[in-house]
Amino acid sequence: MLPADCSRRLVAELRDALDACAERQRQLERSLRVSRRLLRTWEPETPAAEPAPGPETNEEVPPPACTPSRQELKELELLTQALEKAVRVRKSMSKAGERHKALSLKSGDAATSASTASAPSRASSQAGSQASETKPPRGAHQTTVPARGLPEGRLPSVGDRTRMARGARATKPGPGLRDQQITASAAPQAPEAFTLKEKGILLKLPMAYRKAASQNSRLWAQFSSTQTSDSRDAATTAKTQFLQKMKMTSGWPGSGLSAAEVEAEVGLLRKACSLLRWRMEEELSADPADWMQEYHCLLTLEGLQAITGRCLHRVQELRAAVAGQQLKPWPEGRCPRASMPCEGRTDSSWSPQLLLYSSTKELQTLAALRLRVAMLEQQIHLEKVLMAELFPLVSTRDPQGPSWLVLCRAVHSLLCEGGERFLTILRDEPAD
Amino acid sequence: MGRRRLRGHRGDAVGALPEAIAALSQTLPAGPSPEIFRRAKFDRPEAAPALWQLLFRVLSPLPADGASASPASPTSPALEAQVHLVKSALRSQGYPRRALAQLPEDGSQGSRELLLALAWLLARGPLLEQLLAQTRVRLGDEIPLCECEALASAGPLPPRQEADGPVDIRHLQWLMGKLRFQWRNLITSQQEQCALLGKIHSYTRGCHSDRSLGHLSVAETELFRDPEGGRQLLQRLESENARLEAALVWWRQELVFWKWMDTVLGACPLEASQPTFLPRIPTVGASELELVARELQALHEELRGVAEPRRVAWEARAGGWGPEWTAVQRASQEAVGRELATLQRAWEQGEALAQTHGPRRLVKRDAGASGGPGLRAAELIGVLRSRETCLEAVLGRLQTRCWQELTRLAGARPGLLWILPPGR
Repeated sequence: MLPADCSRRLVAELRDALDACAERQRQLERSLRVSRRLLRTWEPETPAAEPAPGPETNEEVPPPACTPSRQELKELELLTQALEKAVRVRKSMSKAGERHKALSLKSGDAATSASTASAPSRASSQAGSQASETKPPRGAHQTTVPARGLPEGRLPSVGDRTRMARGARATKPGPGLRDQQITASAAPQAPEAFTLKEKGILLKLPMAYRKAASQNSRLWAQFSSTQTSDSRDAATTAKTQFLQKMKMTSGWPGSGLSAAEVEAEVGLLRKACSLLRWRMEEELSADPADWMQEYHCLLTLEGLQAITGRCLHRVQELRAAVAGQQLKPWPEGRCPRASMPCEGRTDSSWSPQLLLYSSTKELQTLAALRLRVAMLEQQIHLEKVLMAELFPLVSTRDPQGPSWLVLCRAVHSLLCEGGERFLTILRDEPAD
Repeated sequence: MGRRRLRGHRGDAVGALPEAIAALSQTLPAGPSPEIFRRAKFDRPEAAPALWQLLFRVLSPLPADGASASPASPTSPALEAQVHLVKSALRSQGYPRRALAQLPEDGSQGSRELLLALAWLLARGPLLEQLLAQTRVRLGDEIPLCECEALASAGPLPPRQEADGPVDIRHLQWLMGKLRFQWRNLITSQQEQCALLGKIHSYTRGCHSDRSLGHLSVAETELFRDPEGGRQLLQRLESENARLEAALVWWRQELVFWKWMDTVLGACPLEASQPTFLPRIPTVGASELELVARELQALHEELRGVAEPRRVAWEARAGGWGPEWTAVQRASQEAVGRELATLQRAWEQGEALAQTHGPRRLVKRDAGASGGPGLRAAELIGVLRSRETCLEAVLGRLQTRCWQELTRLAGARPGLLWILPPGR
């Protein structure tokens, strides 16, 4: 068992780490819920803030939630029947290859008709091509197609957006078409299946949003450009003067160091320590080839020693400031970080910046690396804390006592193996 | 320059001040009306609560997601708690006037002092910019890149009951295992999220009105699925635009405000010079300071242990070298001095990863596409990989040191075999 105060500190430290992790997980789950929902089937509606779209944008607006009119369904039924007839006619006089193609298309549809949500693009393009042979669906009024309706030669290119747009209205009864071909049932299903996969590229942002968003980015750009100008310099002088006056009117005897500043300096010193150590290891592992390099190495080590000495001196100063100033702690012990540690940003950092990725794999690599770096940083911090708390325990506990071995084993596992593996201790009995 | 301009506009100063204050109050989140500012100059008590709330809002960390756009969230604490937090926050930032600490806890007095505190915060740093960036409407998708973002969005933590009493070390091992497991979960969830984002970005290719972006983000696609949410997003965008415009007006009119604040400061009575003693409380930061002190001390010892023998050996060998030696010596010294100065700059001037700070909108673009502003993921991956290697090396070194120390301590009990686990 560990002593109470040590336990409290260590448990608190580990629980902080767990909480931070849990918070990230929560945020991720939130985003995951939203993304998963978007990839399922849903009904798109343009927000009501959008005024009634003009006729020229009609073709690109995603299909509204209402069912297609009876009239249109009937027309498409007729169209389908005509096409089926045409297929039969064509089949009877065509080569085997063509029949094979038509059959494979049909069987493809049969296989996928089960889930309306995953209409293959072939089906939509099939319907699209059929519809595009007729007039635009809004005014679909004739079925002229019999001889030309076969899809094989008429598959529109996938990138042909205008056709797809027109085909979009027709794909609504798409599932109905397929059902006809398979089940030959009279009533088309025509569910309003919208999936991002098929019809995502048809979405168009509403005008109000576009205006607001472009104004937003324009304003942010203006924001960053006004950071440097004459009037700002005058304001800066006025501000400095004001701060001076504030300081002079106060009766405070303080040395001017705030707790936030101390914390910031401690962070810098921590960074300094690891950089200095890294440099030292580099020097020690290098093999000097000649006396010049040897001398260089010696000077570097001495220089590092001098810098470390200065850092230690700064630590003493900070210690004195903390002790003498009676600095009060921040309430929750963590808030100071919220005071923008990212202050090192300068120009154009306020306007939106982009992160470009080219494939999902790349994005996943990036995200995984980022998490790994954060995890390593946390592990290093925990390692240092555990070292500081546990080693004194091991040295002060009686080695001959019963719990010492248990403690050593646990300490080894925590500190040297990251808690993943355990060593075994055997008594080395002399062979008598 | 500025003064000349002001004198010429002295006649307009009367009109410029209300405009400046109105712009300021619109830019600030939960900004009080300009009337409050005027009353605060005369230290009217009715202006105090609004200013306490404003300072609380400015100084406390934000809730987790920016979706709660309302300034007065339902969980905002009572006025007394706000007063307490504001006082300790200002104190910890080094607010120079004692009068603030002496204000009553019920928040009924001290509007002039609060006004001075607000001005002090504004003068010290880019407060407005930071506040606006904090509540910025995120239209694009992001993955949190820098630590500050991950922390800043954490928000106030729920109070946790502390473990009282001694704890078995196995409990610590259990907690470590739980932590490892949580990280694994996190990475898996993150991979899934990236895959979903990739899909959404490809499916909405070409839909965005802004050609440089090319595809929609999750928030924008949500506009279609959830019109009500879309309306709210639009509202937030528009109010942010209004705040940005107010901020631009404020920057044009700032000087007038600072002149006015001088008069406010002048209206305060001078503080008495005898310091009142406040109770001493051990700081949280002290333990961090001790950790760093210990590390630096250890490093110093190591360096001395390595450098001194080398110096001795060198002196023994290098005696009796000629004058050309001193020139070489000096050159070496300068070179080393430069190297070490660069090293020192590396931690004094902030992270090398400066470009990863700040939110970045994810945009999927084909690898072959032409350049344009924006950070390429491949570059960032390279930077992160080298950082990963560096950190792994540090961790490895720490673990080796632990192992050496344990070996030394284990010598206290001879006659045992320590069998290391496989894979070491």
